[in-house]
Amino acid sequence: MKTLLQIENLHASVGEKEILRGINLEIKAGEVHAIMGPNGSGKSTLSAVLAGRDTFTVTEGSVTYDGRDLLALSPEERSWAGIFLGFQYPVEIPGVSNVNFMKAAVNEQRKQRGLEPLTAAQFLKLMREKMAYVEMDSSFSGRGVNVGFSGGEKKRNEIFQMAMLEPRLAILDETDSGLDVDALRIVASGVNKLKHADNAFIVITHYQRLLDYIVPDVIHVLYKGRIIKTAGKELALEIEKKGYDWLIHESE
Amino acid sequence: MKANNLIYAPALKQEFRCRVPLRDARQLFLVNGTVQGGGAPLALRLEEGEQLDKMLQIIGIRSAEGPRELSFSESFHFGPRSAGRIILCAHTFSLDRFKTVERVRIELEEEARAQFVVMQNEHNQADHETFYDISLAGGASLDMVFLSLHGGVIRNHIDARLCGEGASCSLSGLYLTDGEQRMDYDILLTHQVPHCHSNQVFKGILDNNGVAHFDGLIKVVPDAQKTEAYQANHNLLVSPTARAYTRPQLEIYADDVKCSHGATIGRLNPDELFYMRTRGIPVAEARLLQQVAFTNEVVEKISSPELRERMQVLVEKRLRGEFSRCQNCSKNCC
Repeated sequence: MKTLLQIENLHASVGEKEILRGINLEIKAGEVHAIMGPNGSGKSTLSAVLAGRDTFTVTEGSVTYDGRDLLALSPEERSWAGIFLGFQYPVEIPGVSNVNFMKAAVNEQRKQRGLEPLTAAQFLKLMREKMAYVEMDSSFSGRGVNVGFSGGEKKRNEIFQMAMLEPRLAILDETDSGLDVDALRIVASGVNKLKHADNAFIVITHYQRLLDYIVPDVIHVLYKGRIIKTAGKELALEIEKKGYDWLIHESE
Repeated sequence: MKANNLIYAPALKQEFRCRVPLRDARQLFLVNGTVQGGGAPLALRLEEGEQLDKMLQIIGIRSAEGPRELSFSESFHFGPRSAGRIILCAHTFSLDRFKTVERVRIELEEEARAQFVVMQNEHNQADHETFYDISLAGGASLDMVFLSLHGGVIRNHIDARLCGEGASCSLSGLYLTDGEQRMDYDILLTHQVPHCHSNQVFKGILDNNGVAHFDGLIKVVPDAQKTEAYQANHNLLVSPTARAYTRPQLEIYADDVKCSHGATIGRLNPDELFYMRTRGIPVAEARLLQQVAFTNEVVEKISSPELRERMQVLVEKRLRGEFSRCQNCSKNCC
């Protein structure tokens, strides 16, 4: 299998504080990797660094995506290259409707690939089709992006956007937080429908329950900015039972 | 002057050849301050109960034939229970250093209903100062939207008085400056009697070295009980050297009122920007979407869908900096 993402000795800081302290990770096409770990271990920082958030400074190491230096690309260039970040806290954009937001995004992606923009009819058809993936009501399209959405609706909107953009590497940052069981099932089935042999997922989560629905190939445990354990999917059940302490002791 | 009898001036039509007139509007030109350039000031009177069937678009133009410095007046008198919609546009035909002082009198008698859209779109050397003198009798309602899109110095002084019970006045405005432009709004809104309602929303986006001043005072006289009066002013600075000054003020001499005012000066939200960029929207486009979103609250107050859409396009072009690209004429209107 082809390597999609190669992270080597990645260090990143915010101000003087070092948050990522030497991450190594390789992800191949077709794989689903779960990243777990206690609060403050650096999970969200890792996803933000991969998406290009400029509040973090990479101080050491490299990230190679599909043969390119990912860290040299702007957030939009990463998106054009097929990276998608599902936000833990999706941002509300008052005054910009979901439909205009997605139209701007989809047509920019097409432009970057040398394709004509979609016609209004083609776009609406695509939107309806992808909204069905996450059982989203069409009334959402005219509303401001995430404005007045419940926590579950916001997360479904993230998966909907992912379905529209069809990324090669999707990073889902605690997409399960704040979801009830039904919403969790809808979100997970959306992910499973989008999964194929050429793309890959990084699923960041606190809880084992999401991994009942989205079955990972590998689980990594992040602690104090380093991966302290990598194992198969059984690790999630063990963490659910015993917590992280035993792993932390083991690594120290 | 009877508004329903006004006709389109064919001689001037070619000057605006890139613009198809609004379907739902009659047009009248105010050339260097007089009706169709004929020397008479504009004085519109609606009789009791008279209803304007279409919008009346008054296209004010300053041309090189007129003096560089000019002052003139217009008046709009709405008789009892009359109703009409007026668009007031200010343009320049040449790039001379015009200085214009304009006085606009708007008087609404009992239960008259009026909607005004004021569109100011001149050039960087034009200095245009307008004094709006507005009074509303009992039960009258005025809805006025100002769009200050382009001009060297634009100053709008608004003195609006609610003189009869049950009157209602909504004033909204959008001002966009860039380069060295300056735009000022100076508003005095007085509640002189009880049971009136007023609402003000003014928003500005300031780029480059653009400057805006907002000075708004709501005054509620003694005994004007049950007054409802709201005022908001929000400014977006999109360059490090743009400046906004705001002074929202309330003077309330009655004790049973609902009044509020608020003002902000801020920048584009970086979280929104990052979110859009992660979806592949380039940073310049993302900034534009945010700015257009900011203007929506004001532009959406225009009730005619046709006019509203046109103004949305115009505002977006203005924010994209595409005004100067139009090859048809110098009016920057499309």
